[in-house]
Order: sequence, then C-alpha cells, then structure tokens
Amino acid sequence: MLEIRDLDLAYGDARALSGVTLSVKPGEIVALLGPNGAGKTTLLKAIAGLLRPRAGTIVWEGEDLGRLPAHLVVERGLALVPEGRRLFGAMTVEENLALGAFAARARGDRQANLDRVYALFPVLRERRRQLVRQLSGGQQQMVAVGRALMASPRLLMLDEPSLGLAPLMVRAILEVLAQINRSGVAVFLVEQNVHASLTLAHRAYILETGCIVGEGSGADLLQDPHVRRAYLGPLAAREYFRL
Amino acid sequence: MTILAQQLTLGLMIGGLYGLAAVGLSLVFGVLKVLNVAHGELIMLGGYGAFWLFALFGLDPFASLLLVLPLSLLLGLALYGALFGFVVRADEETRVKNSLLIGFGLALVLHALAVRLWTADDRSIDTPYAGAAISLGGLSIPLVRLASLALAFTLIGGLHLLLKHWRWGQAIRATAEDWQAAMLTGIDVRRAYLLAFAIGTALAGAAGTLVSVGYSINPSIGLEWTLKALIVVVLAGLGSTFGTFVGGLFLGVAEAASAAVFGGPYREVVGLVIFVAVLLLRPRGLFGQ
Amino acid sequence: MRALTARGELGWAVSLLVLTVLALLPLLTHRDDILNFVFLVLLSVALAESWNILAGYAGQVNLGHAAFFGLGALVTRTLWIRGTPILPAMAAGAVVAMAFSLLIGAAAFRLRGAYFAIGTLALGEILRTTVGNLFPEISTLSAASIAAYRLSHRYYLALGLATVSVAAVAALASSRIGLGMQAIREDEEAAEASGVGALRIKLTALGVSTGLAGLAGGLFAYYLISYYPSHPFGPQWTFDALLMTFIGGVGTVLGPILGAALYVFLKEYLAVRWVDFHLLIFGALFVLIVLLLPGGLVQAGARARRLLRRGEAARGRGGPTNLGPRPSPADAPDREPHLLAGARRK
Repeated sequence: MLEIRDLDLAYGDARALSGVTLSVKPGEIVALLGPNGAGKTTLLKAIAGLLRPRAGTIVWEGEDLGRLPAHLVVERGLALVPEGRRLFGAMTVEENLALGAFAARARGDRQANLDRVYALFPVLRERRRQLVRQLSGGQQQMVAVGRALMASPRLLMLDEPSLGLAPLMVRAILEVLAQINRSGVAVFLVEQNVHASLTLAHRAYILETGCIVGEGSGADLLQDPHVRRAYLGPLAAREYFRL
Repeated sequence: MTILAQQLTLGLMIGGLYGLAAVGLSLVFGVLKVLNVAHGELIMLGGYGAFWLFALFGLDPFASLLLVLPLSLLLGLALYGALFGFVVRADEETRVKNSLLIGFGLALVLHALAVRLWTADDRSIDTPYAGAAISLGGLSIPLVRLASLALAFTLIGGLHLLLKHWRWGQAIRATAEDWQAAMLTGIDVRRAYLLAFAIGTALAGAAGTLVSVGYSINPSIGLEWTLKALIVVVLAGLGSTFGTFVGGLFLGVAEAASAAVFGGPYREVVGLVIFVAVLLLRPRGLFGQ
Repeated sequence: MRALTARGELGWAVSLLVLTVLALLPLLTHRDDILNFVFLVLLSVALAESWNILAGYAGQVNLGHAAFFGLGALVTRTLWIRGTPILPAMAAGAVVAMAFSLLIGAAAFRLRGAYFAIGTLALGEILRTTVGNLFPEISTLSAASIAAYRLSHRYYLALGLATVSVAAVAALASSRIGLGMQAIREDEEAAEASGVGALRIKLTALGVSTGLAGLAGGLFAYYLISYYPSHPFGPQWTFDALLMTFIGGVGTVLGPILGAALYVFLKEYLAVRWVDFHLLIFGALFVLIVLLLPGGLVQAGARARRLLRRGEAARGRGGPTNLGPRPSPADAPDREPHLLAGARRK
C-alpha cells in the first residue's frame, strides 16, 4: 500500500533522513519508534506532503507522492494527525471536524463520517458547538483524530497522539485506533509509549538518527534486548516521564 | 454642545468607512501574512470606478457597488497572480518585508497612472439627493453618509457570514490560524490565499465607492487611507471582523473629538499618535504571536 | 586577490576623476540648468546614502526619514534667515535631527522589521502635520538674499556633502561597527546572541543616517528660495531615497549614486508631458527589483561582469541585503525545506 524506498531528506546541510525504507500493508498497524530527534516527525511530514525529500520514493498504491503538495496527498487517502494536534482553536469542534471533510473524496461522506466520529467519541457530540481551545487535552486529541478520519483515509498516520495525555486517555486513544483499524483503515503510528504501541502494532520499525535500524513484528520487538534496554528500561522510563 | 455632538456623529459616519477599509487589509494580513501598503490605492481605484460609472453612465453610486465589487474582485485576482502570489513563497518574516516593498512599488505605479489618466483634481459624486439630511434629536445627519455607514456595516456583516458559513470562508479562517494544519485537512492553501486577497481587494473597492459619494477623492488619497486602515488594524487586532469595524468607528470619533478640542489641523495627528503608541506598548505589534 | 586590488585602484582613479570634473564644472559652464541638474543629483546622492546607512547596512527600513531631512531644513532655514552663516546653521540642523532621532530611537527600535517601517512612517507624518500647523506660512528669502544668491555656492556645498556621505558609507562598510550593522541586518537575533550589542549599533547607524539627512535638509533650505516649511517633511523625500537606493543597489556604496543619477535624470528629462512619469517607471522597476534582483543595478552590473568573465571562478559574495526576497528557506536549519511542497510546481 505504502512503500517508502531509500528516502533522503535534509534541512539545509543537516541530514534528517538517510535511506529510509519501510512499508505499510493494507489493514496493518505499523509503529515507528525511536528517540527524540530521530526524524520520525520529519518522515511523517514528508509522507504527508509538507516536506519534500531530496531523494528516494514514497509510493502509495503505485503513485509517487514525493512531489505532491499536502492537500493532494489527503485526496489520495492519507491523513496525518500532526504532533501537538494543530487544531483550529478559534473554531468549534464541529467546524474543525467539518473542515476535515474538505477534500473532494470526503465531501460526499461528510455526514456519515461525522456520525461515525461521534460514535467513536461520544463526548465530542456533546461539545460540538464549543470552541476547540476550551477543551481538555484528551478531548482535543479526539478532535484531531476525528478530523483526520473525516477525510475518509485509507491510511491514518499519527504523530505522538499520547503526548501530554493522562494514562487513561492514552489507553482510550489506542483502543480507538484498534477499532479504526478493524474497520479497514491502516494505521502508521509514531508513539513515545513504546510498550503500548508495540502491543497494538502488527509490525514496527526503529528509527535512529535518520536511519532505520530495526524492524520486526510487535511481539518480537517487545522481546528484543536492544529495544528493551533503549526504550523499555529504567533509562527509557526517565525519558518517558521527562514531560 | 450640539456642535460637538454633530461633529462626533460625522466622525462616526466616516469611522464606518475606516472600518470597511481596515477589514480588507486585516483579512489579507491575517490570512496571507502580507502587508499590502497599496491598499489605499485600491480604495482610490474603487472610488474612481464609481465616479466614472456615474459621470459617464449616470449610474447611481450605491448601485454601482454591484459593479465595483466584482470588478475589484477581479483586480484582486490579477494582482495576486501577478505579484503577491510570489511574495507568499517566502517565510513569514520575509513575506511581510517584501509585501511592504512590493506594495509600495505598486502604490507608486497606481498613483502615477491615476494622475496621468484622471488628473490630480478632486472629484466627488453629486447625486440629486446629495444634500439631503435627516434630523435626529437636534442633529442633522447627511443621508448619503448615513447610507454609507449602513452599507459598510452590511458589507462587513456579509463578510462575517461568508467566513462563517461558506466552505472556502472556513478554509480561509483555518489557513489564517495554521496553514500547515489547513493543508493537512485537504485545503489548497494557495487558493485560500487567492480568495482572501481578492475579497480584501473587493472590500477596498467598495470602501472607495462609498468614499467617493460622501466625500471626495483624488489620486493621492491612497497613502492617507492606507494609514487609516493600518491604524484601525493595529488598534483592533486581527481575527474579528466586527471588532475591526468598531475600531474604525472609534478612530472616526477620536479624530472628531481631537479636531473639536485641538482644532481642525490636528485631526490627522491623533490617529497617528494612537497608532505609534499601540505599536510601542505592544512591541511586536498586535501581529506578533 | 590581484584582480580585487586592481579593481580597487580603478575605483579610486575613477572617483578622483569624477570628483575633479564635478569640481571644475561651474568653471566650465555657465548654464544654470546643468548646474541645477547636477546639484539635484548630488543632493539626492547625499539623501540616498544617508538612508542607505540605516536600511542597507543595519537592515532597518526607516520610512520616516523625511522627518530628519525636514528638521535639518527647518532649523537651518530659521537660523540662516536670521543671519547665521550657512555652515554653522547646517551643522545646527544636523545636530537637531540627530538629537531627535536618538531621543526616539530607543523606543522606536523596540519595533522590529515591518513594524519599525510603518511606525516610522506614522512618526514622519505626525511631524509633517505638526510642522505644517505650526508654520503654515511660506518661507521666502528677502530681496537682498535673492540678489546675493549664488548657485555655485550651493553647488560646491552639495558636492562636499555628497562626497562626505559617500565617504562615510564607504568607511562604515568596512569598519568594525559597519560589520556589526551587517550582522544585525542578516540575523538580528543571532547577532544579539553573539554579543553584538544591537541597540547601540542601531542607534549609531540611526545617528549617522539622520545627521547626514539633516545636513541634506539644511542644504535644501539653503537652495530653495521659497517653500512651505512642511514641504521637506513630506513622505516623497523618504520614498525618493528608498527608490534611488533600492534601484541602484541597497547595501552598497555605489548603489545610491547610480540610483540617484538615474532617478534625477528620469525625473527632470521625462517630466515634460507627464509629470509623474518617472514615478511610474521607478515604481515598476522597484517591484521588479524586489522580486527578481534585490541587489539592484549594482547586482545587475556584477552579473553582467560575471557573464563577460565566464572563465573565472567568480562567486560574488553578495552586497545585496536581505531586504529583498530571500532564496527559498530550504537552507536554514530549523526551517522546513520547501515549505509548500507544491508551491514550486508551476
């Protein structure tokens, strides 16, 4: 479905991604792990069309997305829930969600998608006329995910959805992701919460300083000694609770 | 006392036009982060449009709004395509600087053309009902100016509705807040820019039309109106159409008050002083986040 | 290296030659119109170079420059008409202009970038309106002064002022303070972080810029027989300086000279049927330059020279400033490369 080959991206002289190769198959949940500054956000932005790679290909269903601007990438069926949510704070929940269906592919399904989002996140229906900036972090995250779902994506990408959320909310969000996946949407997830994401994901990659250094099924990586030491051990815990 | 009240009322009338002038500038700046200092010249062109429609075809200036609006819209599309579309390719800080410079060049060209085509003479539109006034509690309010105020308010109200309910109006608001998030939502941000700029120009044209009716125009009013619009935008901040309108009213009344207290020649100064003061008290202006 | 020195020596030679010709001009011709024309060019050079210091080198676009031109004119005229000799009167004008600028400088520099520009614009307008209200009557010379009027005096003063302005900019450009200014121009925050003392440098630039502008204003007051005191405060003086500097090449020594010469030439000789024609041309030229050639004529000249010397490895190291459009943000760390991935697609 999504095939990335030898992707290179740089900010000026600084190499952000080197030779990144990965894939997401239909119906999968794929996780991307790695320390801060590894380039995970950069990779997601490149796929989404906000950044242009210097070399390599991003092939989605046979089409190279590399030079497509972000709004057309959405038209192709990929939606990104960006880091920090990036909602339109001065607009209401419903307006934010409605804008999610801006793309032509999603316009017809707008009402149906809206109902589906409210079914997934009932609390949003209650607050739909509230300004988004008045919502809690967890609720805003729901709006962000909901907005992306409004675009009828076949691949949903998320950048650190659990950032700044209480553990209960984190679990809720991840459960929703599983539910979304069961309905046929592939998920590509960048997530700090390594344990939870590896439990959820079918497969995962590890990105360190712009290069893919590991790959495997979720279960296998949970047992992998390098992963355990770097991301699940006491040092990792300190990192995790830094915020 | 009545004289003061009379002057303040007149100040209110023109304040409505200040608000309309500012709304267009505010829209363009809020969405594109572009400071079009030729905005006043666009107002001037709108005024001449109405004037010539009246002088050549006898078209009532309020009716000519129906023509001036779409024509200004087209002009805005053209100016974006030819000029400001290139400015938005740079990052925000460079954009503002470049738009300042380009707007300046554009203003010069438009001003020189206007002088060449229409001479530097003052023009105003003299309709049969021009002198009519209504009496309201001891005040005599010129009908034309009252109508202009009402129309300005209507146009701004229309803009508000457009931004709230039209799909692309919402897209414009989203782009103003976070253009990257807007792109991720499937919005073609460049089209949002184009529309915002065209609408801003249309509003400028409309303001110019209303100016030519109740007041007079000449090719050099551009700088003055750009400054008025800037003052109101800085005063009212970005993001609220009605807030900008109120800011315009405030400026109009403040000018009238200062003219009453300090004398006519100082009318202009108060707005400029307020402007500088607001800029300084909020060092990064109201535009800085 | 050798090529550079040769060019430097050529530059000196040409400058000396030009200066000599200009100095001898009043002796070579009695035609007032020629002297007038050259006078205007020289005055414009001084005004443009003065604006160039703050804008081209320190990167601050001062749209209220006319205020200082006007203050110099006001003070000089007032003193001179009452009997003060012209040179002290001009000096007083420059001092007042400079003092005023330093007074408002600290506050004004709290504004950055475009906000400094529009803030100074407003300030200039405030001054113009106020002076127009306080001194509404036209200022005219007495019959005796008119009888004693010598254009050649004005001419030589102008030549001296223009030379001083150019020399000041040249000296500044390579001085330590000048480099500090340019550091601020390129990236103010970075310069500040590396201990450049931005405010003091900006104030220095402002002081020199406005002092020179004040002198130019004084010269203007000495030159015109009658004018409205608010006239030299008008924004067109700022805009003229801006246009001349940009079109010639902002941030270079030669730029304002070329720009001024071209500008005055077009203004005087095209004014025949269409009074503001030169503004139309310059406005359009200006837009083109901002979009395509931020370095103005100087950059165009450098490019032409490079084209002619295609064999040499000539990598021009700028001169043109950041005031024009920067190349795509791709090359700055911490900036997203190719912001709108589709923006560069036609």
